[in-house]
Amino acid sequence: MSIDQQSEARVRVMLAKPTHDCHDRGVRLVARQMRDAGFEVIFCDFLVPSEIITNVVEEDVNVLGVSCSAGGHMPIFEDLIAAFKELKLDDLFLIGGGVIPEDDADELKEMGVKAIFGPGTSPASAIEMIKQEFAA
Amino acid sequence: MHNEQTLALSKAMEEKKDQSYNRMVEKFGDNAPARASGATTHSGIPIKSAYFPHDIEGIDLTKDIGAPGQYPFTRGNLPAQYQFMNWANQPVMGFGLPEDTRARMDHLTAKGMTGYFGQTNYNLVYDLVSHEGLDPDHPGARGRVGQCGMGVYSKQDMAILFDGLDLRKINVVHITYYQSIPALAQYIALAEDQGLSASDLRGNSMNWYHQSAYVGSSAFAPDNGQKLAVELISYCNKNMPRWNTTNMFGYGVEEAGGTAVQEIGLMLAYGIDLVRDAQKTGMAADDVLMRVGFQIAQANDFFEEICKVRALRRIWSTYMKEEMGAEDPRAMHVRIHCHTSGAVLTAQQPLVNLIRTTLHAFGAALSGVQAMEVSGYDEALSIPTEESATLALRVQQVIQEETNITAVSDPLAGSYYVESLTNEIANQALELVAKIEEQGGYIAAQKKGYIRREVEASADRWRELVESGERAIVGLNCYVEENEPKPEIFRVDREAEKVAITRVKKLRADRDADAYESAMANLKIVATDFAAKDVSEIGDGSLIEAAVAAARADATTGEMMSILTTALGWKTPHEY
Repeated sequence: MSIDQQSEARVRVMLAKPTHDCHDRGVRLVARQMRDAGFEVIFCDFLVPSEIITNVVEEDVNVLGVSCSAGGHMPIFEDLIAAFKELKLDDLFLIGGGVIPEDDADELKEMGVKAIFGPGTSPASAIEMIKQEFAA
Repeated sequence: MHNEQTLALSKAMEEKKDQSYNRMVEKFGDNAPARASGATTHSGIPIKSAYFPHDIEGIDLTKDIGAPGQYPFTRGNLPAQYQFMNWANQPVMGFGLPEDTRARMDHLTAKGMTGYFGQTNYNLVYDLVSHEGLDPDHPGARGRVGQCGMGVYSKQDMAILFDGLDLRKINVVHITYYQSIPALAQYIALAEDQGLSASDLRGNSMNWYHQSAYVGSSAFAPDNGQKLAVELISYCNKNMPRWNTTNMFGYGVEEAGGTAVQEIGLMLAYGIDLVRDAQKTGMAADDVLMRVGFQIAQANDFFEEICKVRALRRIWSTYMKEEMGAEDPRAMHVRIHCHTSGAVLTAQQPLVNLIRTTLHAFGAALSGVQAMEVSGYDEALSIPTEESATLALRVQQVIQEETNITAVSDPLAGSYYVESLTNEIANQALELVAKIEEQGGYIAAQKKGYIRREVEASADRWRELVESGERAIVGLNCYVEENEPKPEIFRVDREAEKVAITRVKKLRADRDADAYESAMANLKIVATDFAAKDVSEIGDGSLIEAAVAAARADATTGEMMSILTTALGWKTPHEY
């Protein structure tokens, strides 16, 4: 998969955080490091998953990262994955991060989430993964 | 502080020591560890390899240090620290349905959790749904009911939570975000149902609007948040003499990545703004400050975190007395609930966190705090299990009962290092306060994004140090275990959400619709009126009274917050 049909194209990443969840230190750090790595980064807060879905479609992003550090991640990913299937957004690279238990992470990967970046992982590992995925 | 002869001796001793020390540095060359020369604290303050009497020259024994219970209270608020009373055990509790949280309250009480003078206190955190100002049946609540806090949304839920307890005999901390007023109103209405009045109640509202400067979740517009804070203080000042109105949330600064200097500097800057705005309504500094408390972190830099607490007591009391007009010594005191840092705990090798939290609690005890929450060792994984919550309480109990630390107040006073570092942190924090004052105060600086930028720059710096390995974290960037066993994870029963939804729907169907409608119509009028007022025009208690009337009529948190957020503005804070 490649996005540099046009030489100027940059990877467009949307990072989304539930408005409920005060733990935004991690996702904001990831946003800054991804921007420094040359991605176009859009940061959005959301109350319900439909807000992310609208944003993903309107902004035409390549990557969506959902940050969740306070539980309640399963229903969000369930809603997102169902909507993306319906919209046939098969190329959207969906990742997650935050305090997500290992069992849930395994289940999410089975559902189609490409990777879950748990506590202690470095933003660089997510950046590397995206770069490999979208390498020319 | 010392005579000429001592100073000369002291300097000569250091010089001699430096000569031999520098020879070692040269001998080791590139093999010398980074800390051998040019060490800094976690806040970035340069520190020496040893301290001497001349390092505390310029620090005044009475003006800067004093004695326990004597202004400027560097050494503690009262003549006695723990000799007559241990610090209060205040573990944070809250998950699932009200009865789930109640079971945890009873469990920890049975394990010896003790408040001031043997009282029972409960430090209760509300869930994310409540923090967002929603009810459990809102689509945005899905998956989040009873997560990270208790699913308590009404007077009726509180009745389950406190069933059989005499509210006059317990002290309840309501850890809310911006729903402080609805939660307080429901608690007052519950007390009235028991034949009590607001003045009988003891406990704490957080009044945490100031945290929107550095914490991510949705919030009121900063000016309106400030008005809500002043309104609650004003109401309690007149009606609830035993209620603590405001918690200075320094802990949130530290958890967001801020340094020790930022944590205490930002709290003083906000305290100044709060007193100033309350004074516009006719309150005196003492009326505000007597019921203000602090939540302060203890993180990994052992001495810096202790000195931070000592510095905070000094700069707060000095500023409040000299600049803001505090008169009663109690209005100059920094009453601290210490929360050991969660952000420095790891998901890797989670049991190692017990060692970290023990060091944090040990430091907090040496610094002299009034209450403590020790994080569970599974903090980076989930809500604490019953086992980890019990062990966290045991950490406090071991220090209280076995170490003899509680016999002597401020035991580190007089250490050249501790006094010197306390002084340096105080000075740097005051520099930050001056920068914020130049911008027109805390709220003005918040609106410019200054506070968020400063805290984030520290968070980034911390991360760089961790990634480069300069800041070691056992189990993460050193001493890593390859095959760790799967930890036990606490999970909130997903059934809780269904029960909460059923309950709130039944509550709406069963309550007196006329009484509810009329109370809510009034709350809407009062809130709209409140939104239009300048801070100098508030303080008649009308907003709280309207909220209490709504709570009596069984209005839920989501319903009351819907009126407040519509009237006062509600967005994610970095959009302001």
